[in-house]
Amino acid sequence: MTRMKSKWLILFMVFSLFLVACGGGSDDAVEDVAVEEPAETLDAPATTAAPAEPEEDPMGICLVLDIGGLGDLSFNDLAYAGYEKAVADFGMKGTFLEPEGGGENRGELLELCAEAGNDLIIGNGFLFDASMNEVAPNYPDLNFAITDGVAEPGNVRGMLFNHAEGSFLAGVAAALKTKTNNVGFLGGVDFPLIHEFEQGFLAGVAAINPDIVVQIGYASVAPDFSGFNDTVKGKEIALAQYEAGADIIYHAAGGTGTGMFQAAKEVSESTGSKVWGIGVDFDQYYQVGNALPELQEYILSSMVKAVDVSIYNAAKQTMEGTFTGGANVDNLATGGIYLSYSGGYIDDIKDQIDSYKEKIMSGEIVPPSARP
Amino acid sequence: MKIFRSLSKRYIIFTPILLVIVVAQVETYSQLTTSGTFGAAIRLSIPILLAGLGGLYSEKTGVVNIGLEGMMIMGTWFGAWGGFTFGAWQGVFIGMLGGALFGLIHAIATVSFQVDHIVSGVAINILAAGVARFLNVIAYQDVAFASSTASPRIQGDIGKFTMPFLAGGKIGERETSNFIGSIEDLDIILISDFAGLLLGFLSNISYLTLFALALVPVSILVLWFTPLGLQMRSVGEYPAGSESLGVNVYLMKYIGVTISGALSGLAGSYLVVAGTGTYLEGQTGGRGFIGLASMLFGNYKPFGILMGSGLFGFADALQLRSPQAVHGLLIIISIFLLVLTFKSFFEKKYKASFASFIFSAAFLIWFLNSTSIPNQFVYFTPHITTLIVLSFANQRIKLPEKIGVPYKKGEIN
Repeated sequence: MTRMKSKWLILFMVFSLFLVACGGGSDDAVEDVAVEEPAETLDAPATTAAPAEPEEDPMGICLVLDIGGLGDLSFNDLAYAGYEKAVADFGMKGTFLEPEGGGENRGELLELCAEAGNDLIIGNGFLFDASMNEVAPNYPDLNFAITDGVAEPGNVRGMLFNHAEGSFLAGVAAALKTKTNNVGFLGGVDFPLIHEFEQGFLAGVAAINPDIVVQIGYASVAPDFSGFNDTVKGKEIALAQYEAGADIIYHAAGGTGTGMFQAAKEVSESTGSKVWGIGVDFDQYYQVGNALPELQEYILSSMVKAVDVSIYNAAKQTMEGTFTGGANVDNLATGGIYLSYSGGYIDDIKDQIDSYKEKIMSGEIVPPSARP
Repeated sequence: MKIFRSLSKRYIIFTPILLVIVVAQVETYSQLTTSGTFGAAIRLSIPILLAGLGGLYSEKTGVVNIGLEGMMIMGTWFGAWGGFTFGAWQGVFIGMLGGALFGLIHAIATVSFQVDHIVSGVAINILAAGVARFLNVIAYQDVAFASSTASPRIQGDIGKFTMPFLAGGKIGERETSNFIGSIEDLDIILISDFAGLLLGFLSNISYLTLFALALVPVSILVLWFTPLGLQMRSVGEYPAGSESLGVNVYLMKYIGVTISGALSGLAGSYLVVAGTGTYLEGQTGGRGFIGLASMLFGNYKPFGILMGSGLFGFADALQLRSPQAVHGLLIIISIFLLVLTFKSFFEKKYKASFASFIFSAAFLIWFLNSTSIPNQFVYFTPHITTLIVLSFANQRIKLPEKIGVPYKKGEIN
């Protein structure tokens, strides 16, 4: 029954998409280069205006974001940036969708993308793995990609990142910069993916000075994923860690991390000695710093995970017809993971960070990615 | 013997507080009574307190309000929108209006059209979530740093207050002494712990928090010491009788439910304005339902709601700030149950006494055989603590007599 229902729903949505697409231009407008979207509606997906190839149908790219959605100043925004660039550079027809608050309709959204005939369909987040396994086999001719996860079907690319390597460098930076020999780690949700960040960070700190205290806090525990979007809790955890002596906190908590930067500002102002936060996923010096300018000066660095580059590359390969499924790990060596120097706060320790980067790339150091 | 017998329920409340202070002397558990923990506890409990007070106004007039969460969502959205468009305080006011609007919808449905209160409440919750997303898409179409699930940052912010002389606040530009802070740092048993509590209330506290706390005595005053309050309560107890004495039953219910919405809206805008300054979808995180629980916990009394939300906020602050200190709660619960064991025993309630004793022993064994609590339990500390206190406080909840019963004008029931 539910299958029937969702089919009808999809049919309805595709039809409305069709109507919306038709509404834009007149019939004989072959020369129209841009298909304008009149308005964003709730149920119908938003189609970003893209330069259409006049001679043939443009390739389609469809991005389905995860909980938190656009505007999380982190993971989802980054994916969107890569998607936007691909749409602009390759003249693809872009569609992006956001799931409902709890994210229960992931599978439906993927199917919606597939039925609309998009050539590349991206599920942004490991939580898409189950839906990918269901949807992708039905559309063997289309390319699928999933961020931070893997799926069984052969036409799905698992865009993985070696978080431990980047977090190791964040740990090195924190350990070199701390004046109190006390740093913190703020995780969003207590489960294995975030443990990669935690363990990498711990190893990086210990590589510089094993005597440095690392405080660890999590906003929620799986299967409760609200910890990626709870600024109130992020702020309270960070306040506690700063009060207990930490002067640098590294977060791997999505939107929750904004609360940490706010705590950094508050503590710096009330105690008079500056404390820092290290961002994640995005170069948050610009990302958070632009949206909330008062927080910019407290962002020491960011462990950037170039989801945008991965998505851009997947789009490029789709265009060229060289897209392959299977796991695809980005790390320091491929440039998919790196530590940002925006703001110039860690320029003075660049040499030491680079030497550790070399050691990791040569395999001399292998940061742990799971709890012992 | 006599001591135990004279230990009325009133004083039992203070045993856990004393126990917390004693346990906090151990270094590992010191976070139990620092000013930081109390400060966090206040910030975390205010939205729950406001939602609980909101529930009180509605339920005292006989209307069950399970839609608190939805009204709170409207508070977050309208609070952020008002804050973005006009400024922080205006945002608070507009957030209250948004909540009140949904309160009014609930009132129209339940009072004028006699819809089942639960059905209407659930509808409000679902409607609010959808409306917030819809409005967000429409309102911030071409605004930078906004999306379908988040608003841009509000303008300005609500000031923070620190008491001069006692807590180191500033007068003009001049620094003053931090008298209470220095006492807290001395680490004297009992005195320093109370200093921590006091400092949590006096330093770095948002004006909006003070406003929210002031609503507790104001609510007592309004509901129990004004003619309007008496009419509102009478409508919840015996509407037919009230009407025969000339009370406008519908009007009273409308007033109660609308105030309820406004307070929930205030709770929502507190999350936005005193928090991070942006609206995020799902930001309320079920705090409206916890508010409803704190209202039951507080037995339909404003001060009780303050205690209930405070307990929840304290446990939440503790688990966020120091998972180690949560372990100390085990021994506190164990001793508290032991006290209850004796109390029930001397009241000749042997069954209750036995049950308390068993649980007390279980918690003691758990405490002695572990050094920490599994993470999964730590995150649920606030819920578990509230549950335990509720189940063992064995108080009788006094519901308004005609709560949830639809009333038609002129009806005798």
